[in-house]
Amino acid sequence: MKVAAFLPELYRHLFKKPATVKYPFEKLEVPKGFRGTPVFDPSKCIGCMICVKDCPAEAIEIIRISETEKKFKMILHNDRCIHCAQCEESCPTKTYIMNTEFELAVFDRHNLKIEYK
Amino acid sequence: MATIKPILYFLVYPGLMFLFVYSTFVEWVDRKLYARMQNRIGPLHTGRSGILQPVADILKLLGKEDIVPEKADKFMFSALPVIALTAVCTAALYLPVWHYDVARITYNSFPGDLIVLAFLLTLPTIIYFLAGWHSTNFFSTIGGVRVLTMLFGYEVPLYLAILSPAVLADSWRLAEIQKFYSQHPLLILPNLIGFAVAVVALQAKLERVPFDIPHAETELVGGTLTEYSGKKLAFFRLMADIEMVVGSGFLAAVFLGGFTGGLWIGFVKFIILTLFIVFILATIRTVCSRIRIDQMVVFSWRYLAPLAVLQLLIAIILKGSMKV
Amino acid sequence: MEFTVPIGPQHPALKEPISLRMTLEGEVIKGVDIKLGYNHRGMEKLAEDRSYIQNLYLTERICGICSFSHTTCFAQGVETLMEIEPARRGLFIRTLVCELERVHSHLLWLGVAGHEAGFDTFFMYTWRDREIVMDLLEMISGNRVHYAMNTFGGVRRDIDELQRKKIADSLDTLTKRTEYYLKIGSSEPTFVARLAGVGPLPKQMALDLCAVGPTLRASGVPSDIRRDDPYGIYAEIPFEVCTSDLCDVLGRVVVRINEVLQSYKIIDWLVKNLPDGPVKVKAPRKVKPNEAVSRYEAPRGENIHYIKSNGSDKPERLKVRAPTLANYPATVEMLKGQFIADIPLVFAAIDPCICCAERMVELRDQGSEQTRIVSFADLRRLAAQYYSVDRLQHKEVEWPL
Repeated sequence: MKVAAFLPELYRHLFKKPATVKYPFEKLEVPKGFRGTPVFDPSKCIGCMICVKDCPAEAIEIIRISETEKKFKMILHNDRCIHCAQCEESCPTKTYIMNTEFELAVFDRHNLKIEYK
Repeated sequence: MATIKPILYFLVYPGLMFLFVYSTFVEWVDRKLYARMQNRIGPLHTGRSGILQPVADILKLLGKEDIVPEKADKFMFSALPVIALTAVCTAALYLPVWHYDVARITYNSFPGDLIVLAFLLTLPTIIYFLAGWHSTNFFSTIGGVRVLTMLFGYEVPLYLAILSPAVLADSWRLAEIQKFYSQHPLLILPNLIGFAVAVVALQAKLERVPFDIPHAETELVGGTLTEYSGKKLAFFRLMADIEMVVGSGFLAAVFLGGFTGGLWIGFVKFIILTLFIVFILATIRTVCSRIRIDQMVVFSWRYLAPLAVLQLLIAIILKGSMKV
Repeated sequence: MEFTVPIGPQHPALKEPISLRMTLEGEVIKGVDIKLGYNHRGMEKLAEDRSYIQNLYLTERICGICSFSHTTCFAQGVETLMEIEPARRGLFIRTLVCELERVHSHLLWLGVAGHEAGFDTFFMYTWRDREIVMDLLEMISGNRVHYAMNTFGGVRRDIDELQRKKIADSLDTLTKRTEYYLKIGSSEPTFVARLAGVGPLPKQMALDLCAVGPTLRASGVPSDIRRDDPYGIYAEIPFEVCTSDLCDVLGRVVVRINEVLQSYKIIDWLVKNLPDGPVKVKAPRKVKPNEAVSRYEAPRGENIHYIKSNGSDKPERLKVRAPTLANYPATVEMLKGQFIADIPLVFAAIDPCICCAERMVELRDQGSEQTRIVSFADLRRLAAQYYSVDRLQHKEVEWPL
């Protein structure tokens, strides 16, 4: 049992660059495949509502905007979304893509509603 | 001129203004060293490279709500921080930085002022105990009891250790001790064991890791200072910082040859020597983890006290051989 | 002179609220009374209203550190109910993420143990190296916590060549750093003085009180679900069960560091022997009526999920038994005869994940200490009454408590 066994390591650290990232002045790159907010493409949606049924947080609403054609708009309640990407996985026509947005702080949670027409 | 000098001495250097400014600088140095050794940054944004962070902390505390527990004695609870701050500020006046003359005996430099300084540095410990007692909180009481138990551990080695250079220099007066050592610098070397013991005991007096048992954060919430908030806590924190400056200055004057050379050279020596001792204290804080109170008492009586006695013996033998 | 001290529910030593009422004599602990229920969220009731797919994400959020263990346990149980065999490559990737989670959880625990002992340097170093593991997990699964990799029949994402190479490279750095921590943890005198001889749990008592996980293995019992009842592909992976005969907190530290080193070997084996093929198979939506029990070796011990299905796409009943719940009786025995200064370390040594273990709330009357069971509607009524009426009558509390 040595006294102060790792003292040389401590002194070496005095001259190394710190491991801290000075967020928010420096930001880190997110990796490929990062699960951010879902982005909806209305041209591909067929209105099967599987994403609405499968969403664990009930954050998706699909509303039909035309009586004659199969056109849908989606309202995403981003304050409820847990960014799990289950909607991307369940959708049969690959309508959803996850982007890399994660800095989602607002003062009023209703401002986080996103509408994709 | 004769009346201005004492006023400058009390208020500016080494009085209140210098202590307030320098103690926050020393706390910044300590926090930066601690952080860098742990591969972090430390204070960064307040002032250039975070140098105003301790000042910001104290200013923030001064503005917070001040709560006194219902069952506590209001007068004692409120008076204790002020008394503690007064004690350490008075202790700083005995450091021989300037405005002393080795030939004459003045109010701030007399035979025996070594003991007076050591006694004034013990007062904060007693006040910590009283603060814990008067908080009427279980955690504070346990913290206060631990403060006194620690006192029994480190006080005796500290006193023995600071006595050996005094014995070698043949005087109880700080000004004469530092003059002796600056004239015979080689004689600093036999006192190194005492220096090591005194630095460890100073770490215990300042209640920093590995000896921050009285206010162990994860065990006792806040220890003796649990119930203090707002201005009173600001005073206690300021007192802890100033105690570090005075303690390091004390050790530098006794062991490392002091601050001779008049006002400006003495000032530079003061800064350099106290920063050196603060560097050692910060290293000890980073390397160790907290030890238990029973282990601490065993440690000081098994290792520190015998080493201090050994140091005293070396000093006595050397003195005897020097006279012959 | 005996008096009772409350540690918690709010205390810097505890990461989550739990109430430990200690009976003390001087500085020595004579007895402990554990009161749970502060972190109850109603997970089991919520699970009955959601489909199996939605429940995957609900069970993930039972805990943050051991989130993958709950998902995997649940997915295994439901795969048994659905009578499907998960894809082989999917099983390999699932095990890879399981072992990475074990590594990150043990490194986190090492840091927390250092912090409870006052050893902040150790805390900063282990958490800095844990960032490497978190970055790996983010690269594989898209998120640092709550990986959402599991699905019924395998995993949702694949790993490619670049990611495999990155995992193998990071393992070298991590192995070197972990062996360094083993050296510091066992040779720094102030740290060892805090850990050695603290919180002893003899072997027979550990077996009688049904302790699980590293707490049990540090008392010399080689019990590990990955070896005793292999699930997934653990029957094929070569690894050793780490035990220690020290029976105290130092033994638990040594067991956990050795488990981390074993996990590095397992991850290395998995990355080298990854088979080709699909990562998942198709799973039905509705499940026939049946019941299943699924066991899993979480970083903290044995995790048990019981699932009952009733023919629809929502489960009839989900019951979760988290490993920390099994370690509480052992904690009571471990704390007897220790000093106050040892409370944080002994309690942290079982690696408490209190939010995992909270499944019910007990209401105790303050005066008569009697307990009773109330319905949800009654609970709401009581709360409304307490906060509007009873608060106004200020009640005095005697000191000492």
